[in-house]
Amino acid sequence: MRTFKQFLISMKNYRFRVIISVVLAVGSAVLTIFIPKILGDMTNIAVETYPNIDFAAVAQKAIIVVVLFVVAAGLNYAQAYILTIVAARYTQELRNKIIAKIARLPISYFDKHKYGDTLSRMSNDVDVLATSLSQEITDVSLSLTTLIGVMVIMLTISVPLSLVAFVVVPISVLVVGKITNYAQKYFVERQNVLGTLNSTIEEDYAGQIIIKSNSHEVASFKEFSKTNQKLAKITFKAQVLSALSMPATQIFTNLGYIAICILGGVFVIQGRINIGSLQAFVQYVSRFNRPITEVASTTTTIQGLLASSKRIFEFLNLSEEEPDFSPAQTIDKVRGEVEFHNVNFSYNKDAPVIRDFSMKVEPGTNVAIVGPTGAGKTTIINLLMRFYDPTSGYITIDGVPTREMKRADVRKMFGMVLQDTWLFSGTVEDNLRYGNQSATFEDIVRAAKSSNVHHVIEALPKTYHSEISEDSDNISAGEKQLITIARAMVANPPMMILDEATSNVDTRTEQLIQDSFEKLTHGRTSFVIAHRLSTIRNADLILVMRDGAIVEQGNHESLLKAGGFYAELYNSQFADS
Amino acid sequence: MLKLLKYLRPYWWQVIILLVSTGAQVYATLQLPALMADVINKGIVAEDVGYIWRTGGLMLLIAVVAAACAFLASFISAKVGAEFAKDVRADLYAKVLSLNLADTKDFSTASLINRTTNDIRQVQETVMMMLSVMLLAPMFCIISLIMAIQTAPDMTWIIAVGVAAVIVSVVIIMALVLPKFSIFQKLVDKITLLARENLTGLRVIRAFNNEKLEQNKFEKTNSDLTKLSIFLDKVLKLEGPLINIIFNGLTLLCAYVGITLLNKDFAYLGNMSAFAQYVTYVMMSFIMLSILFVMLPRANVCAGRINEVLNIDSKIKWRAETVGVPEKSPSVEFRKVDFRYPGAEEKVLDDISFTAKVGETTAFIGSTGSGKSTLINLVPRFYEATSGDILINGINIKDYSKDDLMKRVGLVPQKGVLFAGTVKSNIAFGAQSATKEQIRQAARIAQADDFIQKLPGGYSAHISQGGANVSGGQKQRISIARAICKNPDIFIFDDSFSALDMKTDAKLRAALKPITADMVTLIVAQRVNTIKDADQIVVLDDGKIVGKGKHFELLGKCPVYRDIVRSQLSDKEYKKEMRLANADV
Repeated sequence: MRTFKQFLISMKNYRFRVIISVVLAVGSAVLTIFIPKILGDMTNIAVETYPNIDFAAVAQKAIIVVVLFVVAAGLNYAQAYILTIVAARYTQELRNKIIAKIARLPISYFDKHKYGDTLSRMSNDVDVLATSLSQEITDVSLSLTTLIGVMVIMLTISVPLSLVAFVVVPISVLVVGKITNYAQKYFVERQNVLGTLNSTIEEDYAGQIIIKSNSHEVASFKEFSKTNQKLAKITFKAQVLSALSMPATQIFTNLGYIAICILGGVFVIQGRINIGSLQAFVQYVSRFNRPITEVASTTTTIQGLLASSKRIFEFLNLSEEEPDFSPAQTIDKVRGEVEFHNVNFSYNKDAPVIRDFSMKVEPGTNVAIVGPTGAGKTTIINLLMRFYDPTSGYITIDGVPTREMKRADVRKMFGMVLQDTWLFSGTVEDNLRYGNQSATFEDIVRAAKSSNVHHVIEALPKTYHSEISEDSDNISAGEKQLITIARAMVANPPMMILDEATSNVDTRTEQLIQDSFEKLTHGRTSFVIAHRLSTIRNADLILVMRDGAIVEQGNHESLLKAGGFYAELYNSQFADS
Repeated sequence: MLKLLKYLRPYWWQVIILLVSTGAQVYATLQLPALMADVINKGIVAEDVGYIWRTGGLMLLIAVVAAACAFLASFISAKVGAEFAKDVRADLYAKVLSLNLADTKDFSTASLINRTTNDIRQVQETVMMMLSVMLLAPMFCIISLIMAIQTAPDMTWIIAVGVAAVIVSVVIIMALVLPKFSIFQKLVDKITLLARENLTGLRVIRAFNNEKLEQNKFEKTNSDLTKLSIFLDKVLKLEGPLINIIFNGLTLLCAYVGITLLNKDFAYLGNMSAFAQYVTYVMMSFIMLSILFVMLPRANVCAGRINEVLNIDSKIKWRAETVGVPEKSPSVEFRKVDFRYPGAEEKVLDDISFTAKVGETTAFIGSTGSGKSTLINLVPRFYEATSGDILINGINIKDYSKDDLMKRVGLVPQKGVLFAGTVKSNIAFGAQSATKEQIRQAARIAQADDFIQKLPGGYSAHISQGGANVSGGQKQRISIARAICKNPDIFIFDDSFSALDMKTDAKLRAALKPITADMVTLIVAQRVNTIKDADQIVVLDDGKIVGKGKHFELLGKCPVYRDIVRSQLSDKEYKKEMRLANADV
């Protein structure tokens, strides 16, 4: 309920437009209600004045009807128009809010949650809200008005006939409601089976060569067929049940229709009502039907709306990153001295990752971080960049604690080249300029040349203006990495953070990358997650990590001499050479 | 689309029942307004209460029959629709699994998945629509038309007016909206892409302090999307009020014209409301058909994409039984093998000849695009050599039956591929009959036993789709264990050690040694360190063999190899290696 309240509050700016549209909808419904009645009057006039039909009076009624339905349609469109804009603007606002929220959430949130989840909040849930808004408000106000209006008019025409209608119609609604509810369960189950089937297909297609080379096709097909058959069965059940509601409504509608025909016919003969009124009444019965079904179905829609708004506002309510220290400290000219003071850190409380760690890195030092896969080498990067903050202790740059600086200012001091080369969709030039919007084209070309990627870019169809993206395949993984190096060069920060892993890169490109890395770290304080022996050996300081903790530090010679984990690592790799 | 309809053939008698019951439903439903007219004309006007009751009873009976027919029709169309989708999906799935890399090269995996899931769903929905609407609407339309003309021949022109009005309004709205739809779809894709980038690039965006820049980009696209969706909605929402005007106008027209005709025949009093009902039915069937015509082109595209895959003729033909008797001792031999992608000019592999002997490791090294991955893909016939022969255990691979060849090959691809199931089911993937001990032994050799023991449930631990719940290195080790458990003649490692740290890598290689003694081992590698000890190193450059021999031999005589080594070692190490090489020679 809290989220529903929040949803209503978030609609505040739109409330006048929503109210106006409800008023318009009600107006349109009221006007429409009178149409059958006046049409009935028209017939009555004709029958009463027969055989000298009073055409003037008939025409007058006809004109009233035309005016009524044209104005009603006009009002109807006006309200739809207003709601369309409300829904569109509201969704636009929500999407922008979500994107802005992403920027303010701590990185830890995204390390723990899947991207798909956030994306589906932004697309699916927002869409559900938008459709419910633009559809349901209209539908409910139209339906309710029609329902009440029609009931009133039916009662004025004939009380006994109305009672027949009031008995038959709710029964049909009840029955249909039950059926739909029942079908809904199967639809949910179908969605689940479909999910399973899709993941099976995805998995098997992606692992096709493994299935083939293990002659596993028949077994895989059997596995797939089980789910496929289950899907066919459940789809059939869901469809049949939902299809059942149509004939069910029809039979009840027809029952009411026939009952009214018979009873009405008898009444006309008895002179209790006239024939035009009977015709009008029959029309009202059919108009009475739909709004009830619609009102009944809104409960499902409202449930959906509540679920979606819950997911959206849950996200918007997440606690954000702590605000920057105020007044924030700044460093004018960065020398690049980094010091860890008794740093403790853990991702979750019961598993400390870094325990009471202190070290001093002099300006211009190259620090190599080594350790087996999963040892937590990226933790150091997370702390330096303030993606995460230490649980206790602090880090200083040139003597200034980073937690007393603005996050943005800390990050500006580091250039970062990560293992997963993230490029955004846009031109090569845009990507290179990413860290320094004021860079000139000359700066960009210079950086590209210096990081050995200029010739690759020149070979692209539109050179620096070529569109690239994360998954573009016209450039290789290695070339992407070169572009991210050039990007860091354009930004020209005083310190560097690099991740060396280059397993998918061919040897020539690797040489180019290594060469660029060297240029990038030259004379700068740098932290490198090292995989290459040459980098490790040339490093001024090696941090050895194991199981998430820093277990040793020193340079290559001293660490080898110490005969600890580093020596073990080193020897296992080169034992046979 | 038509081609896929052949999948309906097994259900022909159900389709016939469907046709009959739909026809009966339409006919029955349409009798009701005529009987209502009779009630008014013959019952009320003639003040015959008995007639009213009799006709009422008849109407009731007809209503029940109509409902029963309608239910039967929905039942059958649901059944046929579901079975149809199941059959097409099963065929498509079997087809994709039967195809080779060479056949599916032009399709991305994502596209194949889409064809098997979304496209089939789209076609299924359309087939179901066709089975109901496509049969129902025209019947409704024609029979109502006939009935309308019968009830009130002088009023038929009203139908023409109504149909024209509906068609004109639908066409105008569609003409305004349809061209914008593809732009709309692109904007939706773009906004998803941008949101995605905001998430995947989180660290980079924050590192460069570009949160604002990204937000502005998003907001711009968001505003474009909103503007367009407002335009589209504005136009689309016109349809409801317009159709309302048309329907109300027609009802009025029927009543008014009916009244003017009363002097000619008083029966128009009853007929005009029946007629109005029929006109509504005609209009509704037109609207239903127009929806179908919007769906059809889309379904047609999907059907085309499905057929495209179903029609692929596999280029690789297998023998049913292996011809000849393979030697007991494993070997792999390439004889003057060329490979070129179908339709391509350039050779990917050019005149490749080598022999890999039992107990020996043959390694392939070279830059990206040198053809080393393609080369090993030729061994299990994922691709077919353009010319030349490949012999396994002395027999040409073309003479093997598929299962016979595959059981000899233990392949470990670059990325660890796992399937949903348990650790056990994954390791025994190629050897269904493997015992517990064999599985455990394979895991031990692959250095996977330790971490498997620690998993909740050990060997019965659940592996989620694609192995998402184990790390990259663990995936890699399980997939190595899978190849070991199969006990093949030939091991193929396609850069399979890249996700392992140096220490595990070394241990694993030591453990492999004893079992590879009676096997042939082929390794594709990026790193010199991985293959330094190989019995034979084949250096590839641009699809050609430019060097063949042992590490030190190649250092002495193969410049391409020397370049590769130099790029991966520090100067000092390189000099050391060169010294050793000279000493060795």
